[in-house]
Amino acid sequence: MHATLEGGAAFAYIKAELQPGESIVAESDAMSSMSADLTMKAKFNGFAKGLLGGESFFVNHFTNNTSGARQLTLVQGSPGSIRQVQLQGETICLQPGAYIASTPDVKIGTRWAGFASAFAREGFFKLTASGTGTLWYGAYGGLLERMVDGECIVDTSHLVAYEPQLKLKIQMAGGIFSSLFGGEGFVTRIEGRGKIIIQTRSLDGLANWLNPKL
Amino acid sequence: MQIHIHRDGKTAGPYSLEQVRQMLATGQVQANDLAHHAGLASWTLLSQVLSAVTPPPIPTAPAASASRDDGPRDMEFAVECRPDFAFLTVQVPAGQTLKVEASAMATMSSNMVMKTKMRGGLSRFLTGESLFLNEFTAGGGPGEIGIAPGSPGDLEHVHLNGDTIFLQSSGFVASGMGVQVDSKWQGFKGFFSGEALFLIRCTGQGDLWFNTFGAMIPIDVTGDYVVDTGHIVAFTEGLQYEIGRIGGLKSLFFSGEGLVCRFRGQGRVWIQTRQLPSFAWWTYPFRPTKD
Repeated sequence: MHATLEGGAAFAYIKAELQPGESIVAESDAMSSMSADLTMKAKFNGFAKGLLGGESFFVNHFTNNTSGARQLTLVQGSPGSIRQVQLQGETICLQPGAYIASTPDVKIGTRWAGFASAFAREGFFKLTASGTGTLWYGAYGGLLERMVDGECIVDTSHLVAYEPQLKLKIQMAGGIFSSLFGGEGFVTRIEGRGKIIIQTRSLDGLANWLNPKL
Repeated sequence: MQIHIHRDGKTAGPYSLEQVRQMLATGQVQANDLAHHAGLASWTLLSQVLSAVTPPPIPTAPAASASRDDGPRDMEFAVECRPDFAFLTVQVPAGQTLKVEASAMATMSSNMVMKTKMRGGLSRFLTGESLFLNEFTAGGGPGEIGIAPGSPGDLEHVHLNGDTIFLQSSGFVASGMGVQVDSKWQGFKGFFSGEALFLIRCTGQGDLWFNTFGAMIPIDVTGDYVVDTGHIVAFTEGLQYEIGRIGGLKSLFFSGEGLVCRFRGQGRVWIQTRQLPSFAWWTYPFRPTKD
């Protein structure tokens, strides 16, 4: 399958070309356009992912049952960037809402995230993607890769994806005073060695900037 | 660059970038083959590898922004994701402190210690700008902090050397401790347009970062220059400025151009290509309302 990311950093979209027999699994509202003879089937996504993992109850399977190449464009809801990752057996953990699409051999699962995570409005479950194939995920803002070696702190609303061996702990940013008035609220302490992906803008930040004028 | 190509369970190479381009042109390799070179974390689509190393067709804009950060500075820093969602990463030397706009911290090393400071007084309430500023100190060794402003847009760095820069109220992102940050009440000069001009005065010695909504245009003023008040991001002290109407009373109500700032003298003005009041006005009718 040939897929490219287009639309720049602010309005990224996935342009995929499916060869005969190939499929893509995508979030229920991710398809923006497609060749008319691609077959689309909605499949139940599981209660944990839907109810608690911040994802839709249904995902769509797009399959090319024709004898020629067919087009599919996929998008995310927010302005911002998308990443395309080639999984070779490794696992990636995704924050709620980041998942856009994957090829059928990528297994999407859930992992218990803890009560603190739910308290910080990040949900009880984390999404995991593993197996072999292509995964697409995205977020509001630009996406940057950072290497954690030891310990690092990330504002919870800026974390998008991370490697599974990393340990996450949600805590307050400073003391009570700082956490209430410093505007930082909850942060995630990340321990271990591995990659994280952060988004360079957050919806919270946008709301704080815009709300005084509305 | 030495590139390996992987297809049908076989790995070939290494090839030079030029060889790979030729092989692609002749069909020996395909854009959706997997490729790898030193520095890549995993096998990646060849099309992606090539697009990552292929310079963009019109390099003027990125090249200009890359050289923008080459000036003098006290702390090492980098700006990424320009111009849409510019993100600032500052390397804070051991024991030193950085002032950061409240709620803008996105990432930091765990030895960074955060303290919340209230600044200004009553005037801070009136500017509508966040009353609090956080101070991040690198304890027990150097630290790193990543800063994400709230609005979509660009970021600029200036190094103050005893000079003064005025910022519009939501423009402040971060500064070194040698920079004094004061709000300066501007009165109701802009009252009619609903765009009262509140300014933050930054003076002293050290690094200063500020941000825009939209793209940023620096303008070197010699003589007179007119800027819509909502589009002012920053300007250097020494420029005289006067808030006024453009045209007569009729223009004020019917042209859609409200109050403008007329700059006079020698200095630099930074303007932004979008403004919050217009954006808010544009979204306002679609706001959910409770009956």
